[in-house]
Amino acid sequence: MCTKGCRIFDAVQSFWALFNKELRLELRQKHALAGVLLYVLATVFVCYLGFEQIESAKTWGALLWVTGVFTAFNAMQKTFVSETAGTHLYMYTLANPRAIILAKAIYNALLIAVLNLLSVFFFMVFFGTAAFADADMAQFITGLLLGSTGLGFALTFVAGIAFRSGAGIGLVAILGFPVIIPLLITIVRQTTLALEGASVDANSLNVVVLIVLNVVSFALSYILFPYLWRE
Amino acid sequence: MKNWLKITCIGLLLYAAVFSLWHPMGPGGLAVSASKLHPGRNEFKFTGYATHFKEAESSVQVFLSVDSSAVYCADVLEVIDNANVIVSVFLPDTISSKRFGFAANNDIDGTIIVDSPVGHEGFVFMPGTRNTECTYQVKAESFTRFGFPYQPIIIESIRNLMWHVPMWFTMFVLMTISFIASIRALGKENGRVDADHDTRASAAASAGLVFCVLGLVTGSLWARFTWGDWWTNDPQLNGAMVVFMVYVAYFILRNSTGDEEKRARLSAIFNIFAFVLMVVLLMVMPRFTEGLHPGKSGNPAFSKYDLDSSLRSVFYPACAGFILLGYWIYRLNYRIQKLEQHDETHA
Repeated sequence: MCTKGCRIFDAVQSFWALFNKELRLELRQKHALAGVLLYVLATVFVCYLGFEQIESAKTWGALLWVTGVFTAFNAMQKTFVSETAGTHLYMYTLANPRAIILAKAIYNALLIAVLNLLSVFFFMVFFGTAAFADADMAQFITGLLLGSTGLGFALTFVAGIAFRSGAGIGLVAILGFPVIIPLLITIVRQTTLALEGASVDANSLNVVVLIVLNVVSFALSYILFPYLWRE
Repeated sequence: MKNWLKITCIGLLLYAAVFSLWHPMGPGGLAVSASKLHPGRNEFKFTGYATHFKEAESSVQVFLSVDSSAVYCADVLEVIDNANVIVSVFLPDTISSKRFGFAANNDIDGTIIVDSPVGHEGFVFMPGTRNTECTYQVKAESFTRFGFPYQPIIIESIRNLMWHVPMWFTMFVLMTISFIASIRALGKENGRVDADHDTRASAAASAGLVFCVLGLVTGSLWARFTWGDWWTNDPQLNGAMVVFMVYVAYFILRNSTGDEEKRARLSAIFNIFAFVLMVVLLMVMPRFTEGLHPGKSGNPAFSKYDLDSSLRSVFYPACAGFILLGYWIYRLNYRIQKLEQHDETHA
């Protein structure tokens, strides 16, 4: 019989196995990853062609997160679609649904965080670093990470619902957009304040709201995913 | 729904409709015609709203206050009608500051205040300057007639309180019914989904969505009147719009799959998500962010007005009536959907 400690060990092990599976799948399908990267680059480049230079922190924040959201939607497309009915059944017999959502959500959150860091890099290349002259970098990075994880948690779950319904990719956008709007409003505000170099006090409320939204969307997907997974 | 509940619902709504629209307004100060005050004699017109200057002509007094420390009595030159009085006030060269206020007293309305900024020229400002010749009594208590309280800017549109706010309360009640039904739909022990509870959830959510639209429309009208725009950047407005979109997405999700079991499961899961989001958007976030709705940063409700008994006596029945109406629509919706399902299975 398995004791409590061994069960936790089991859960950690299956989490790592599933996380690894996601990562390998990603690296194996290099064309998909390359597609997302090209998308990020192209979006930032189009922004550059349109704006040439960005004067205000507000525009910076808005453009960064418009790019961020569409990148997240793009990256999310393959999270469930790559699983056929056969794989689904196989995974169902093999693993705990909670471990699956944990692995998928955390993997997607990290992926989106990396992609957003990359888009910040592209923005810096094209628009220069003048916007960061009086920015509070710690706040900016905190916001970037919290925003990315929030997007990752919420969208992973919504993508799960959309793909279970069989209606495909269009439904992810329909279900996903309203769900992430509160996150977006907060994160754009947070990034703008961070770029303007606001004090930690002025920005801490936004960070708290971001953490709350992260926790809520993560908790909901963790609780509800087993019902979604069952068939 | 029981017949006596239906009759109560109709009765409450009729009462609320009649009283919210016909009930008179309490008195208030609308404007003064003085564009620029100067030392010496100033003649201007004091305009009230729903006041009784003509009826209480003998008791009308008008005051000009400066910085709330010095008060100058005005001579009443002519009482034109119940709303307009022409007065003249003598101001010295030296006054304490440029913060002017106007007040009018009479025996029927009590004290009415106009607080709009007024221009000035030619004064010497000396803080602490007082005027001993005139004393000012506040007669706020003396208005005893039944009337909705006068609020600057809002004025008559305070009647919308009995329409706009109950819409959101009703939506909350219906969405809560929908949320509980969704949880119960998922909560069956054998892992199947309860189709009946799913039908309840969708019936309640569609009734709730109607009230959400009505809340947005009545809110938009009110915003146009008081804040000047059909849509303003207020956390509660944006939140309400997102809630509307989330529930529209819920119905799109319901229509996206033909398999009944799957539809029930997916829409129940999304509905739980939507409800939590709604609570965060409409009850949590507006408390943290600045906005235009009354009682901001602390309480998104209307704490300032709910003490007034004339408003309460119409507002609570209106809320009860609309909630009963919402519940009634939900029950009808549910029964129609059940009958349709019955037809499908027996066709």
